[in-house]
Amino acid sequence: MRNERGSRDPWPPVQRPRFAWIRDHWRVGRDCFAIACRRLWSSLLVWLLVGISLALPTALYILQRNLAAVASQWDGRPSFTVYLQTGTDVGVARVLAARLGAETEVERAWVITPEQALEDFGEGLAIADALEVLGENPLPASVRATVADGVGEAELQALVDGLRNAEQVDEVAMERAWLERMGAISALVGRVGWILAGIFGLGAALVTASSVRLVIESRLEELRVQKLVGGTNAFVRRPFLYFGLFYGVGGGVVAAMLVSGLLIALEAPLERLFSSYHERLAIHGMGAPLVGVLLGVGGLLGVCGALIASGRRLRGVELA
Amino acid sequence: MGSIALHGVTQRFENGQEALRDVSLTFEEGSMAFLTGHSGAGKSTFLKLLLRLQVPTQGQIVVNGVNICQLPRNRVPRYRQHLGAVFQDHHLLADRTVIENVAVPLLVTSMRKRDIATRARAALSMVGLLSMERLYPSHLSAGEQQRVGIARAVVNRPNLILADEPTGNLDPGLSRDVMGLFVNFRRIGATVIVASHDHELIESMGVRVIELDQGRVVRDEAPAA
Repeated sequence: MRNERGSRDPWPPVQRPRFAWIRDHWRVGRDCFAIACRRLWSSLLVWLLVGISLALPTALYILQRNLAAVASQWDGRPSFTVYLQTGTDVGVARVLAARLGAETEVERAWVITPEQALEDFGEGLAIADALEVLGENPLPASVRATVADGVGEAELQALVDGLRNAEQVDEVAMERAWLERMGAISALVGRVGWILAGIFGLGAALVTASSVRLVIESRLEELRVQKLVGGTNAFVRRPFLYFGLFYGVGGGVVAAMLVSGLLIALEAPLERLFSSYHERLAIHGMGAPLVGVLLGVGGLLGVCGALIASGRRLRGVELA
Repeated sequence: MGSIALHGVTQRFENGQEALRDVSLTFEEGSMAFLTGHSGAGKSTFLKLLLRLQVPTQGQIVVNGVNICQLPRNRVPRYRQHLGAVFQDHHLLADRTVIENVAVPLLVTSMRKRDIATRARAALSMVGLLSMERLYPSHLSAGEQQRVGIARAVVNRPNLILADEPTGNLDPGLSRDVMGLFVNFRRIGATVIVASHDHELIESMGVRVIELDQGRVVRDEAPAA
């Protein structure tokens, strides 16, 4: 911009040392962190609120990921188990397994003896004492079969219906139905997780925004002085973005701790549940990448909240 | 670099009240002037316009050849970095020490820490408060607080110093000392404009006096040579 005398700039920019911006950011970040730590109780409250907002969608995401993992462990291949009546001879089961193995709809069929069933059952649930009281094995022999590729729903259903009507057959359990239900639940959990992530993410940003707004209001006089002496909007806003960042990242840490605690609490019951379906469950927990994403998302939401809070408020801050 | 020219400046507020009416004045680089008048005469508005805290409804304010009324918003901070402002109520930050208060204009310019300390101490030395650099404003008297405000205004070596009733809270002896500081700043090349209603003090300083009444310039007298 040229002035009326034609000279270039009557107010040249002040010469800044090299890398001054790094030093400025370090100084502001350090000061803000110190202030956030000094106001520990209010900071803790914000971290908790943001953390809870982030924890629920994160927990749902982990749940959905585990459900999807269990479904994929099944290789997508349906199977069924034919439970014989209690006391039926294992030989009957072997005959049935051989018959099923010869069916074109069945890929493979094998016998699970009452002893094997008891062993599997005992691994999942601590019932040894109860079985000792019963004195005998109450579990029946069964035949487990995996379905061949390309078998249609109707063909499989006809086969299972036929087995249900066979002599000495007590029950036929199709794992696919359970699997399909689980797939549907997984999709639902995933969808709900994303919706809640949006809602609670907005909530986290607004919590940060209102907290940053309170910090702004408590430092208005300082901001007015900074603007009076030539502080740019970016300079004046910078500390509040750091406050937002610290609140968001702190909330992410709290969320990671909450979800980890939840997983620890639920690990044993979930393992028992899955082992009852003859599945070994390896729970997919937080992991470093997910913690990193959580902290990043928390920080981003915090900065967004701070931008919302500071954008309009700081524009009008001037000495009256 | 501190010449100022006001051309037909009028400042009208939303309620229709005119704080300044068709004011035209020039200030040479390195000059000093007192702005006087009754309360509500337009002195503070005059200074706010120069600080670019307000924009006039009519007229032009040309500082160093640039019409600051048309200064883009993003250029205002840089303009203000070359100004020094002093107010009656100091606007010192209660939770900062004296030296930290004085250093605020230098922090804005990303100066090195050791340079900030050197410049802030030099400014405090200029106003005779170097020994109080570690104190907080609440530990200082009104006169000392005002001098801290003045040190803050001159720490960035401004071209233009604007002061609004800087002696409003001070006794006559201290007022004279403070005004003496402003006279010294003029000697180092800054243009100094001081708003004050203390006629006796103003007349005794022997500098240009501009009197405002209901927003109009009713007197503009340079001192006898």
